[in-house]
This record gives sequence, structure tokens and C-alpha cells, in this order.
Amino acid sequence: MSLPSGTRNYTYAQDMAILRTKTHWALFIGFLVLLLTAPLYLGNYWLGVANLIGITLIAAIGLNLLIGYCGQLSIGHAGFIAVGAYTSAVLTNRLELPFLVGLICAGLMAGLIGLIFGLPSVRVKGFYLAITTIAAQFIIIWVINHWSITGGFVGIKVPYASIAGFEFRSETSQFYLIVSIAAICTFFAKNLARTRVGRAFIAIRDNDLAAEVMGINLLYYKLLAFFIGCFMAGIAGSLLAHWIGFLNAEQFSLTESILYIGMIIIGGLGTTIGPIFGVVFIRLLQQILTVEIVPFLERTFTMLPAGFATGVTPMLFGLVIILFLILEPRGLAHRWALFKSAYRLWPFSY
Amino acid sequence: MAELLQYLITGISVGMVYALIALGFALIWKSSSVANLALGQIVLISSWFTYAMLAQAQFPVWLAFPLVILFALGLGWTIERFALRPLIAQPILALITVTLGIGYFIEGVVTFIWPWSVDALPRLFPREVAHIGPAVISQEYIWVVGICLVVFALLTLFFRHHKMGIAMRATADDQMAVQACGIPVTTVFSRSWMFSCVVAAIGGILIASIGGITHGLVQTGLKAFSVVILGGLDSFLGAVVAGPIIGLCESLGGGYLTPYLWAGVKDIIPFVIIIIVMVIKPYGLFGEVRIERI
Repeated sequence: MSLPSGTRNYTYAQDMAILRTKTHWALFIGFLVLLLTAPLYLGNYWLGVANLIGITLIAAIGLNLLIGYCGQLSIGHAGFIAVGAYTSAVLTNRLELPFLVGLICAGLMAGLIGLIFGLPSVRVKGFYLAITTIAAQFIIIWVINHWSITGGFVGIKVPYASIAGFEFRSETSQFYLIVSIAAICTFFAKNLARTRVGRAFIAIRDNDLAAEVMGINLLYYKLLAFFIGCFMAGIAGSLLAHWIGFLNAEQFSLTESILYIGMIIIGGLGTTIGPIFGVVFIRLLQQILTVEIVPFLERTFTMLPAGFATGVTPMLFGLVIILFLILEPRGLAHRWALFKSAYRLWPFSY
Repeated sequence: MAELLQYLITGISVGMVYALIALGFALIWKSSSVANLALGQIVLISSWFTYAMLAQAQFPVWLAFPLVILFALGLGWTIERFALRPLIAQPILALITVTLGIGYFIEGVVTFIWPWSVDALPRLFPREVAHIGPAVISQEYIWVVGICLVVFALLTLFFRHHKMGIAMRATADDQMAVQACGIPVTTVFSRSWMFSCVVAAIGGILIASIGGITHGLVQTGLKAFSVVILGGLDSFLGAVVAGPIIGLCESLGGGYLTPYLWAGVKDIIPFVIIIIVMVIKPYGLFGEVRIERI
């Protein structure tokens, strides 16, 4: 049901094409136009939200490659994002290197740290790996808080991103920067998933022992998954650093890591479109909840307890994660696929 | 010398509490192979509940503690019934992440009800300090060790002789066979969650009576995982042996390494131990090495 009826593939290239029909192309170009002209009708505030969504999306795509495709549970993603963010911040602030160097180094550094903490994945999996990555999260944040070069508890200022003399000062310019990188990452993830590497990842996820027997080098592919996933986290961290302009280790807590896992579960593990759905859903919910709904409720019902504002968001997110796991473990991506097939078969659904 | 003795005693007693919390983990893991990552948050919410009973509602201790135990039992039952039961036979990824979601939810509840986030439990143990040789330590530590030993003994007896305990061990061994024998597996799961929450709650109260109630209790719960990992996931003996080892490493390392490294090295030692154990001996000291077949 992945294609509209009457669409047939006569060549391999047709079979592999992402955009298959004219409607696909029309919708895709319409979406691109809508996305690239977004700064015209989104205010500065919503543009900021869009930027945050874009940055989160890059990290979530990396996490989806790691968890959704390769099946290696990592609960330290915020830690790896922090590695990228601080690498970029230190390089551009303290050493005054150009932004692009900082961006690439952030990715490489996060990937490298990811490799180190991913090493146990060769021998253990499941819960053991989850604990290892939680430990990684705490160790990374502790080092950041205590190493003098990162500014410690005080935090560190980060200059604006700039390429060849052009400074990305406004939300609009940063929007284009972030959107283009997010688009590249999405495209990369989509294509990676259907190459030998992606198939190897899926084989490892489904049964790593069987995969090894089939001749897949577990060491290589598991570490590759960790490297790519953390590389993207590093890129996202670097963009986040230059977008916010000020870093503090509090921004990269364990709860943030859990939220990332929540995003890709809500979106749908092991799909390309899943992270997009999940990130948009969670970040929009977060924004609307903290900026619109909670202050409104507090104004309307004055007898609400003092912890209402800070407590209700994690409660709701925890509930959303639990409910999705129980009711729709395949996430919004599955619902989307159901909707598409229902739409194509309408009105003769049998 | 006095310093060393002090570190040893605090290390062992804090390690005992870690071992207790780790037992709470092992209980669930043994019976249902669910990794409960919400342990830290369960520790947190039950110590806040103790605070609410003792300091806010001003109940006497003999009334407050049964209420706390009841609360922990109810918490365990609720979690198992509404979050874990629908996920029986799901992949391990779902089981782990659902406990993360539970933890997130509980953390929200805690900030919702007790937004000031730091407080001290009322004194539970006598105030006078104790002298052991040249060392001067507060009596709390001795009480903590004593209570932990009593709970260990009770749990061991329960698993040896009580019908439910034997059923739990059997379930851990072979779920299918147990079901064929007519033991209600879901009841076993439910009980193991309830007991686990009670054990974690006792651990939480003990650690909070030493260090006060802070958000760091979540981290304490996570530190207990280093005990689980070092001792071996499915071994009670492992938890009891590894707990004091972790506690000693933490207090000795915190005491003697801080001048050479950055401050706060104490908090990170259990996590470093996790990484080291993972690389060298992932199944821990007493854990059963599982042989996988395709």
C-alpha cells in the first residue's frame, strides 16, 4: 500500500525513487516552497520555535539511527549533544576559530566520545547498554561542570555563527542555516537506511547473533551506528550553542535525554518520517504548554499549587510516553501510513 | 587513622543503602526481566511522602511508617497494573523506555506537590554521636547498617521459605513451566513490583535521613545501578557484597582523590565503576552469564 494504485515500477531506479508520482513531486515542491518562505509569515517568536525544532530534529535523527535502526539503546543523548555544543563553543570562543571548523569538530568530537562509550555495546545490550549510556551522561556533564576550559557552572558565551564573513545574527538567517543542515541529515538518514549499512543495522536490531552468523561485522557496525548517531548529536549541539549564544550544563540534563527517546518513540522508531513527527509534536506541545496553557490556567485558577507550572510538563510528557508505548508503539509514523492507505483506497477500502 | 575509619564506616553504611535499593531492582529483574529505571524517582517520591507524613501531617513515627509502606505497596501495584501489565511480552526496548516514562511522570508529580525541592527529614535516630575507636560518627550510620541487615535477613527468609517467595524464584527460572504449574504469573509480577517499591522506599528514607531530601535522590537511585551491575543483575548475594564495595569506593575516593581531582569526584565514582565493569566483566561478580541461542 506504499504506492497509489496503478503505479508500477519497471526499473530498479523507479522502485528506489523517494518521490514516485507527479502528486508526490507537487506536494514535495509545495512543501519546500512553504518551508523556505516560512520567515515571511512566521513572526520572530515562532521562527525561534522552528529553529529549536530543526536543531532537535538533527539530534533526533541521529538517535533514531542508533535506537530505531541499530537497536542500541542510548539514554545519554543530551550528554553527546553537550559534547558537541561545548566543543564548538570552546573552539569559537576561546580559540576564535571559524564556525565551520567548530561545527565539524563538534560532530567529530561527539562521535569520538560516542565511540568510547559505545564500546561496551560490543559485548552487552539492552539494559546494560542503557545503564552505560546513563553513566556516560553523568560523567560528561560532570567533566563539563568542573573543567575550567568549559566555563564550569558559570557557563560560556558563544559568538554568532558566521560563514565567510556573513554572520547569522537574525532568526531568519539561522532558520535557513538550520533547515538546510536538517534537510541534509534527513536525506542522509533516509539513504543510509536503504544501503548495506542500513540493512546491517536492521539485522543487528532484529537479532544481533543471527546478524553475526550471516557475516555482519558487529564491532564495526555497532560502533558505526554510535559514531553516526553521536556525530549528528554533536552537529545539533554546535548549532544549538550558536543559536542560544550561552551554554550551561543544566540545558543537557538526563530528563532531556529521556525526552529525546520519547520523541522518537512517539514519532515511530525506525522510520524516516518518525523523528519529524515526534520532534514537532513534543517541541510544539512543550512550547504551547509552557507559554500559553500553563500561564492561562494559573491566571484563571488562582488556587493552583506553586509547583503547577514546573510539575505539569514532565507529568504530561511522562504520561504521553507511557500511553504511546501501550497504545501505539509504532508511533505517529504508523498512523500516517494508515491514513495514507485509507486515503488511497477510499471509498473502496476492501 | 580516625579519618580512614570514618570513611570506612560512612562508606559501608551508605553502600548498604545502595545495596538495599539495588535489591529493589533485582526483585523485579529476577521475576519479570523488566529493568526498572524509575527506581531513583521511586526513592525520591517515597522519601517525600515520608516527609509529608512526619513533618507536614505531624503523624507519630509508629503511624507514619505503616502509611509509607502502604503507599509504596500501592505505588508498586499501580505501576505494574497500569504500565507494565499491558506491555507483557513486548521487546525489551519498550519495557525500558516505559520505566523511563514512569520516572519522568513521578518527577513531575514530585515537583507538582513539593515545589521547594530541598528539605530535611525530621530526626528519626538519636542525636548523640558515637565513638568507635578514634573515630567520631553520628549514630545514624549505625542504625542504617542495622536496618539494612534486618531487611536483608527478612528478604532472604521470604525467598527461602514463603510460598510467594518460592513462586517468584520459580518464575524467574522458567515462566512457561511456572504457568503450567498453575502459579498466577501476573500476581507474581505484581507482588514483585510492590515489594520492590517497599524496599526502595526504605532505602530512600534511610538515605534521606542522612543527607536530606533533594533532587539528588534520583541520582542516588541511579548510583544503585552500579551495585546491580557490579554484583550481577540476578544475584541478591551480589547486591549485598557489591553495595559496601561501591560505598567504600565512593567515600574513600571522595575523601582521598578530591585534592588531586576536581571537587565532587565522589558523585561520579559509581558511574565510572559502571563503565569499567562493563568493559571488563559485564555480567558482574555473581551474575549468571547468559548463553544466547538463535
